[in-house]
Amino acid sequence: MRQVWIVLRREYLERVKTKGFILATIALPLLIIGMIGLSGFLGMQAARSDRHLELIDYTGQVGEEVTARVSALGYEIDQVDPATSLEEMDRRVLEDNLEGYLIIDDLTLTDGVFAYRGEDSPGSVRRAVLESVVVETILELYLSGLESGEAVRALIEGGSLEFESVAGSAESENAEVNRMVGTAVGFAGAMILYITTLLYGAYVLRAVLDEKRNRVVEVVISSVTPGRLMLGKILGVGSMGLTQMGIWGASVGLLVLFGLPLVAAILPEGVAAELTQFLPGPGVLALFAAYFVLGYFLFASLFAAVGAMCATEEDAQQAQFPVMMLLIVPFMMQMVTIEADFAWMDWVALFPYFSPIMMFPRAASGAVPVWMVALSLVLMVLALMGTAWVAGRIYRVGILMQGKRPTLRELVRWVRTA
Amino acid sequence: MEPAVRLERVTKRFGKHTAVSEFDLEIPPGTIVGLLGPNGSGKTTMIRMIMAILFPDEGRVELFGGEPDFGRRNRVGYLPEERGVYEKMKVLEQLVFLGELRGLSRAQARTRASRWLERLKLGKWVGKKIQELSKGMQQKVQFIGTVLHDPEMLILDEPFSGLDPINQEVLEAIVREERARGRTILFSTHLMEQAERLCERVCLISRSRKVLDGDLKAMKRRERSGAVAVEFDGDPGWLNRFGVAGVEQVEDAWHIATTGDGQRSQILAAALDSGIELRRFEILEPTLREIFVRHAGESAEEEPTLAPGGER
Repeated sequence: MRQVWIVLRREYLERVKTKGFILATIALPLLIIGMIGLSGFLGMQAARSDRHLELIDYTGQVGEEVTARVSALGYEIDQVDPATSLEEMDRRVLEDNLEGYLIIDDLTLTDGVFAYRGEDSPGSVRRAVLESVVVETILELYLSGLESGEAVRALIEGGSLEFESVAGSAESENAEVNRMVGTAVGFAGAMILYITTLLYGAYVLRAVLDEKRNRVVEVVISSVTPGRLMLGKILGVGSMGLTQMGIWGASVGLLVLFGLPLVAAILPEGVAAELTQFLPGPGVLALFAAYFVLGYFLFASLFAAVGAMCATEEDAQQAQFPVMMLLIVPFMMQMVTIEADFAWMDWVALFPYFSPIMMFPRAASGAVPVWMVALSLVLMVLALMGTAWVAGRIYRVGILMQGKRPTLRELVRWVRTA
Repeated sequence: MEPAVRLERVTKRFGKHTAVSEFDLEIPPGTIVGLLGPNGSGKTTMIRMIMAILFPDEGRVELFGGEPDFGRRNRVGYLPEERGVYEKMKVLEQLVFLGELRGLSRAQARTRASRWLERLKLGKWVGKKIQELSKGMQQKVQFIGTVLHDPEMLILDEPFSGLDPINQEVLEAIVREERARGRTILFSTHLMEQAERLCERVCLISRSRKVLDGDLKAMKRRERSGAVAVEFDGDPGWLNRFGVAGVEQVEDAWHIATTGDGQRSQILAAALDSGIELRRFEILEPTLREIFVRHAGESAEEEPTLAPGGER
């Protein structure tokens, strides 16, 4: 155990200390957070100019309401006396601190057309805000004659389609929302599992191959058994991966913790609540951890075996292809069938090598029964034991073997005789 | 005492090429043994079999009286021919890693490594990455990794190649020192002169077969022709009585062929009688190279052609 730990520690420290790791792990999230923050900040600055607007309403019917609503959205706007001459208004735009002014007249009430006079065009964000406020106000004016004023308001703000199951009470409205959220979380999780397994698997392959190529392994192997060396390397790279994901996860957590209230402040109340429900709960996080750890070990042993049987970089590029296919195929199937879910795919998802990418999203969205999730985890553990055994034997023979890559038949012999 | 290493009719083939053929060898503990032969004669293959990196097709390899298993291999310090180092690691960190793997504590590994680094004049380079060091320095670092855990036996594959003469001498001194502490040292080399300086026992290899092995002094005594070398100031006329065929001038000395011990005494007596001023009188011993050529043939020192068809 001590030796596994020594190998692990070296592997981990040597990786974590590289500039590449620090850059990818710490600088990248900082950069992304910074960019999100900056663009949000600039956007808000641009939209809410402190130079103010004015409004002339010749109809005398909607001016007050529009002014109130626009200022509620954070703009400075005042209504002015319709008797003010347009020459006087234009002069104030050119000489005083007036950004521009709106003209609402009869044509606005009939066709929804209104004017904005200013030195510069209002910009797309402000244009959209002003248009929707004016149109909503006029619609409400027209419809307020009807009895159901409140209903009209709700309609204007937008309706929603609600699913009702004919199968009985099993699918409540809540379950439907949960499933939608679960699908989104599952999709994101599958994506992360795919990328990290591929990434860290490649690290393991490289670590094994480098050690074999520069012959360090010949020195090390007189003091450590091949099994311990392989385990140490896989654990070392895995710890590095966990560190990296931990830091990334923590940055996302911080972003949510401090960013969400900021976002919620400028969004309507309902939207913010909807956003929060997409955060995964502890159960889903635990499932993700289980699939990540099992999947990582499964593929890391395969990549270690590939690294051990190759002598050159080019060799490894070719030899890792079958292993990559075990990741790419389920990923493709998952992406293609995001919407259309076939029942037989649930069974495909039980294949241990496909499970991380295909079963985790199903588990997260609750699309498969619990026993299936449990079964997939058990199958993965069994597959891991078998894979580690075979990979360990290939590794043991391979790391000391120089020359050309073994054929499939030779591989079988290695496994048998090692 | 049981031999440190024993090979019993060991044969190793790579495809059609036989790298080591029916090899017998015993290495007594506490000696410096040189494995001598031209490039490609099978030295590295043999060493790799002793370290269980390769396995013989036929025959048996024993280390410390048993299978070269994990526990026994750990009693050996092994320096492979290709220099295996973690290039991106710092010098001291790499040595501490190797020391810890072999059972030293962290502190122990650190103090020992520092002491060795000082001794091999690498003190300044402790914090540098290995890839920043010259080839020779990397080799010294690797040598330290070999001796760090104070193994019972050192197996060194071409330890001197690539080192300048000063560093070669430093390394030779360390090898002698380890020998004085009762350690066994087996090293391979293609430099006959070096083996001659350093070894107590030699094993001569040519084309995957053993040519000759045993105690170097005994071997030389056995192989010597009985000729003597004489150096003197004065008239060389007295040499005439030994005939023209048996006398030849080599640089400052005269070499005289003899047929037995009695004749050597006669030569010495004649020299003393002739009134010359005698500077040196020595029984000539053959060099290792001469012994090697005598037993393996003139062509043996050339590299064998790849995959010789005659050897099956």
